[in-house]
Amino acid sequence: MKDDLYRSMKEAIVAGDRARSAALAEEAVQGGLDLLEVIEKGYVPGIQEVGRLWEEGEYFLPELITSAEAMKRAMAVLEPELARRSLKARTGGKVVIGTVEGDIHDIGKNLVASMLQAGGFEVHDLGVDVRLDRFVETAEAVGADFICLSALLTTTMTNQRRLIAMLREKGLRDKYKVLVGGAPANAKWAEEIGADGYAENAVAAVKLAKSLAGQG
Amino acid sequence: MSHLLLRLAAARPVLLDGAMGTELMARGLPRGACPEAWNLDRPEAVAAVHADYFAAGSDVVSTNTFGGSRIKLAGHGLDGRTCEINAAAARLARGAAPAGKFVAGSMGPTGKFLKPQGEFTEEEFEGSFAEQARGLADGGADILLLETHYDLREALAGVRAARRVTDVPVFVTMTFNAHRRGFFTLMGDGVAKCAAELERAGAAAVGANCTLNSGEMVGVIKAFEETTGLPLVAQANAGQPVLGADGSVAYSQSLDDYVKHVPALVEAGARFVGGCCGTGPAHIRAMARFVVKEGGTA
Repeated sequence: MKDDLYRSMKEAIVAGDRARSAALAEEAVQGGLDLLEVIEKGYVPGIQEVGRLWEEGEYFLPELITSAEAMKRAMAVLEPELARRSLKARTGGKVVIGTVEGDIHDIGKNLVASMLQAGGFEVHDLGVDVRLDRFVETAEAVGADFICLSALLTTTMTNQRRLIAMLREKGLRDKYKVLVGGAPANAKWAEEIGADGYAENAVAAVKLAKSLAGQG
Repeated sequence: MSHLLLRLAAARPVLLDGAMGTELMARGLPRGACPEAWNLDRPEAVAAVHADYFAAGSDVVSTNTFGGSRIKLAGHGLDGRTCEINAAAARLARGAAPAGKFVAGSMGPTGKFLKPQGEFTEEEFEGSFAEQARGLADGGADILLLETHYDLREALAGVRAARRVTDVPVFVTMTFNAHRRGFFTLMGDGVAKCAAELERAGAAAVGANCTLNSGEMVGVIKAFEETTGLPLVAQANAGQPVLGADGSVAYSQSLDDYVKHVPALVEAGARFVGGCCGTGPAHIRAMARFVVKEGGTA
């Protein structure tokens, strides 16, 4: 019975069915189920399957976005109830993310933010054209684990390097994992500027963050 | 003028131009500035880029309006001047064009998503592109070039918008990634679907640009050739950008390697050939030796 429910949850996420995903979460709440188990065995396998389908080239950006949305709808139902029961969903950590200053591209950054959130991270999205000191201020204020920097232009990706330098100057470099992404970035660039990692796409970003959080 | 361009393409491959943004940066465009604003503020710099490409052998240059849709210009607070900016850009290119050469009005993506992934409706995209297309046509563009589109629905909105406001032919290049099962846009549209729907919407030529290097682009053009009778457009990147320690940008594909694949692109069916990111007048000059020679008309 419970297994059927979990399978339905997984299917709702894979299909990107937001209404059904939320309704099933509601059913779990009403039924007094172990909501942490519901997340781990029902919804998380769904979003993992979505990631696999993306890697296989079966799913593309629209499917990724609708599935992440379906995940968000379920969590919006489950989280208040978890809080009421003084429980907390397992989190991969807190992420501060944004597109660096001088750059207004947000497609990739939004997708990474959505997938990280769907993957169980607490995401603070600062938007686009974000001043470098705002990344640091926000990370300090929310107690972030990760700072994720997106840049789509060769002219703005240097800001990824500058942010790392800024963290060093402030003596904060070891406090955060800094991940970089964007069309012109690559693993070599991440290494060269002393970042903690590079991810080529949103699915890879979630995997990278999870592995750095010790959940790989 | 426009029918002359299609006639030229029937006689021999037509040479387009290369990148605009990097050429403007070389002339002092500051980081983060709106390149399209230079059509009004620094027209001589934009005209100089066009002149360089014509001198290198381009038959057609693209206007400095890649981000010139109303929705995209709104990001710089310039949406109120959409028509003016696009018309000025087309006039600039027109003014730089020697007799018998052509101007393509560049129309890049809005950078926003349509519902349900995003907030915008197809009608809103259409309105945004219509204003741009009207400006470009008023300024004297011979064709409109919807380029670097990753969402077929958005590109189709662009074609509809252009066809609504002007009679100039509409060319469309989509940008594809290589997957195991073939070439797909970010949104998951394959080559055959793009070709069929764009043709039905009234595109005069279709093809691909950006993302892929010139060698990879050959495969995309072959896929187009198998599925459509429309003239094909190919504008590949010179590989991937690589940032030097001093902040300088180089591209991973050398000029020689880039140009080496151009005959194969033409062989595969490309009738309009040019460059994208990482290419400049030097690439066009080198390509001219292959492209324009064929058919013995130049």
